[in-house]
Amino acid sequence: MVKALMVAGATSDAGKTLLSAALCRHFSQKGYRVAPFKTLNISLNAYSTADGKEIGISQAFQAWAAGIEPAACMNPILIKPHAPGRCQYVVCGRPVDMPEHEGMREDLMERAAACYRKVAAMTDIVICEGSGSPAEPNLRDRDLANMRTARMAGAPVLLVGDIDAGGVFAGIYGTWALLAQEDRALVKGYIINRFRGDPSVLGPGIDELSRRMGCPCLGVVPYVPLRFPAEDSCSLRNTDVPSGGNDDMRAVWISNLDRFLEVVRASLDLGTIERILGEGIHGL
Amino acid sequence: MRPYAERVERQLERGDRGSNTACPYYPCHFKGQNCTHCFCPFYPCGDTRLGSLVPSRDGTPVWSCKDCFWIHRHDVAKTVCRLLAGKDMHHATDEELAACKEEAECRHAVRARALMVLGTMSGAGKSLMAAALCRIFSDEGYLVSPFKAQNMSLNACVTPDGEEIARIQELQARAARREPDGSMNPILLKPKRDDVSQVVLYGRPYRDMDVPTYYGDFVPSTGRAIVSAAVSSLMRRNDIVIMEGAGSPAEINLGEGDIANMAPAEDAGAPCVLVATMERGGAFAYVLGTLELLPPHRRSMVRGIILNNMHGDASVLGSGIEELEERTGVPVLGVVPHLELSLPSEDSQSLQGTPGTGTCTVGVIRLPRIANFTDFDAFSLEEGVCVRYLDTPEGVADADIIIIPGTKHTLGDLAWLRERGLDAAIMARKGHVPIVGICGGYQMLGTLIRDTACVESDEPCIREGLGLIPVETAFDAYEKETRQVEGTLAVGEGGRVRGYMIHMGQTDRSRLPPLCFLHEGDTQVPEGVANEATGVYGTYMHGIFDVPPFRRYLLSRASRGAHRPQGDAVASVDERTDAELDRLAAAVREAVDMEALCAIMGVAYPHG
Repeated sequence: MVKALMVAGATSDAGKTLLSAALCRHFSQKGYRVAPFKTLNISLNAYSTADGKEIGISQAFQAWAAGIEPAACMNPILIKPHAPGRCQYVVCGRPVDMPEHEGMREDLMERAAACYRKVAAMTDIVICEGSGSPAEPNLRDRDLANMRTARMAGAPVLLVGDIDAGGVFAGIYGTWALLAQEDRALVKGYIINRFRGDPSVLGPGIDELSRRMGCPCLGVVPYVPLRFPAEDSCSLRNTDVPSGGNDDMRAVWISNLDRFLEVVRASLDLGTIERILGEGIHGL
Repeated sequence: MRPYAERVERQLERGDRGSNTACPYYPCHFKGQNCTHCFCPFYPCGDTRLGSLVPSRDGTPVWSCKDCFWIHRHDVAKTVCRLLAGKDMHHATDEELAACKEEAECRHAVRARALMVLGTMSGAGKSLMAAALCRIFSDEGYLVSPFKAQNMSLNACVTPDGEEIARIQELQARAARREPDGSMNPILLKPKRDDVSQVVLYGRPYRDMDVPTYYGDFVPSTGRAIVSAAVSSLMRRNDIVIMEGAGSPAEINLGEGDIANMAPAEDAGAPCVLVATMERGGAFAYVLGTLELLPPHRRSMVRGIILNNMHGDASVLGSGIEELEERTGVPVLGVVPHLELSLPSEDSQSLQGTPGTGTCTVGVIRLPRIANFTDFDAFSLEEGVCVRYLDTPEGVADADIIIIPGTKHTLGDLAWLRERGLDAAIMARKGHVPIVGICGGYQMLGTLIRDTACVESDEPCIREGLGLIPVETAFDAYEKETRQVEGTLAVGEGGRVRGYMIHMGQTDRSRLPPLCFLHEGDTQVPEGVANEATGVYGTYMHGIFDVPPFRRYLLSRASRGAHRPQGDAVASVDERTDAELDRLAAAVREAVDMEALCAIMGVAYPHG
């Protein structure tokens, strides 16, 4: 039986993509067959798979991290905004003419679930990445990419919050509090990302948050200025580290990921995350 | 017979005399005070909001109004002059004077109403929301002041009195149509190294502190007291104080260590509004989480929510807003659309250069501790010019003008420049394109930097600069120069330039041709260095590009020569800033329920 995990963020650009990639690489290096999965991506940074299908570049990056070839089923829905209020829908790797229609979401979700089954069939672990925040009350019935996917995959959920701009305790707690009761039960832990300084100062905050949410903080990941493929313009920030003379950007991304994974191994409780994986609720 | 009737009548005859800075007692109440009513016509008013009875030398109680700022406000002074004009002060009754005072009070609040603008995180849009409210209330005829207890920023500027405050508070002061002053931003933290900041109090450098010292020792005692005193002072000399919080008020690990959010709001009795940005998603969660994590007595101070930076149609939020209001009991006062504004940038996260593909590229070296990068906003006024922040030798090779900006750490950033090979790239362009050093960048252009007083390093040291101009800089005392300056450009066609200086270290310019002459009284003091033959320029003046002369001069010298100055059609930065503030204020007025907000604050809107 495949084990799945969902990495959801308190905001866009909370660091889901990179943490998912690091988890892909970690479990792959432990000998598991691992694959990434993201139901829905809104991005203009796409990649073409070996068989000519289009997916978000982040899922390609996560597949490389897992040591496998990127495939269209890893990102069933890619939405590419090209003008204000206008998007191109790429479904299962192919652009489709998709005027809004009754039942469209259910059609899309069915196709996404079929893709997930394909990914699950060839792996031991699926690292699912959410999209945006799972706690948009105005979108609750329409959001496919977060809790809907977690329930479909029977995946326990880790919440990631970016502390760089502050308010991370409020962001993580509010996200959890706005989830429906049954979805809250899927949240098994949270991660504080992009911290600068001595994490011991966060102690009292973490204690209170864990007590309120009834699940543990699985780590405080330090801010690491490395270059990774950007999903959207939110992450258009310059970084401090040069490419090290390597002119193949893909190789630079992966070698940066290895450096980031060292940081993750030192800061995240990967043992507990592995145990949480084992506690996955039966999905599908 | 009234006390001092003779004096008061003479004062009234003379009329408004503004600030009497020549008086040996000035400022006896507050800096910038109005001195018309040196002897108060209402003395002893017995109004305990303004003064109190204190024991005199012989023990009998006497009315003291040393803490009264009201009569010393410029607007109050004028109104009182008008109301009392021609009055026989010798025979005026208490009742008559009390009625006059009451009438003046109707117009000018004895104690300000305050509003605290909180954010769910940095970058939620607090600063500009506060600026918009300053402008709106100023438009309504109120005397408004911005306030932010503690700011961490490298973008500082200098008030007319030589005090250093964060650039964003200066912008808010401008929005409120007030002179900026140190009490609007009593604590300014300027990060120097990862965990050390220079602490600036009331606009004057205090000392460098690390994080544990700041939060452990400074904040609970001195810091808290400074904030309270500044709030109290502003509350006594304004109609409205628009306060801005810092970061998130719900950092539950900080506890009482947070003196920038709820503490000053409590001091001022200010209701709070919570601003969240829609830009990254999760806004509802951040608002709910922020409110839930505040202790109950502070949560009840939050009376409204503003959703900011909305892209697209706000009506899609409907059900989310309803649910949020229902769960928190706090009304959403408005959804403010995303606006593209040309206003001074706030933090280095927004450092992406100006949009557009200009034919002339102004390349600003992206130093790790870049400071005052608002200096370069003015280039966006020139058509065909774009600003890029550079951190590679290739970028430097491609720029038409190279600028080394200010920095909070000259030696550290100079080492970074060398590590990245940017020093050679810059020197290779000498003679081909103009190279300008501003402040710390000016220091780097010189031959030597000596840090004998350990201002920048742990041990005394001497470092070679880039050697593009033969000047030497010494950090031989923990001293900082902060002042506004104006003068005449000494290169090209000349012209008036103005700006401000904020620096530590002194540069010996050894009689080299200056970049400009500063007007200091009757003397012309040379400032900076210009080598017109090689096209290398250095100066301590920030803001020197804000007005056209030096900016245009540089562009005219840029190698590709494609740039053509646009004549007088180009607005000054100040005019553009005012126009942008008006646009921002109009958008906020439109989007936010101002009647509801003013009811929360207890102020009249519109102001009669």
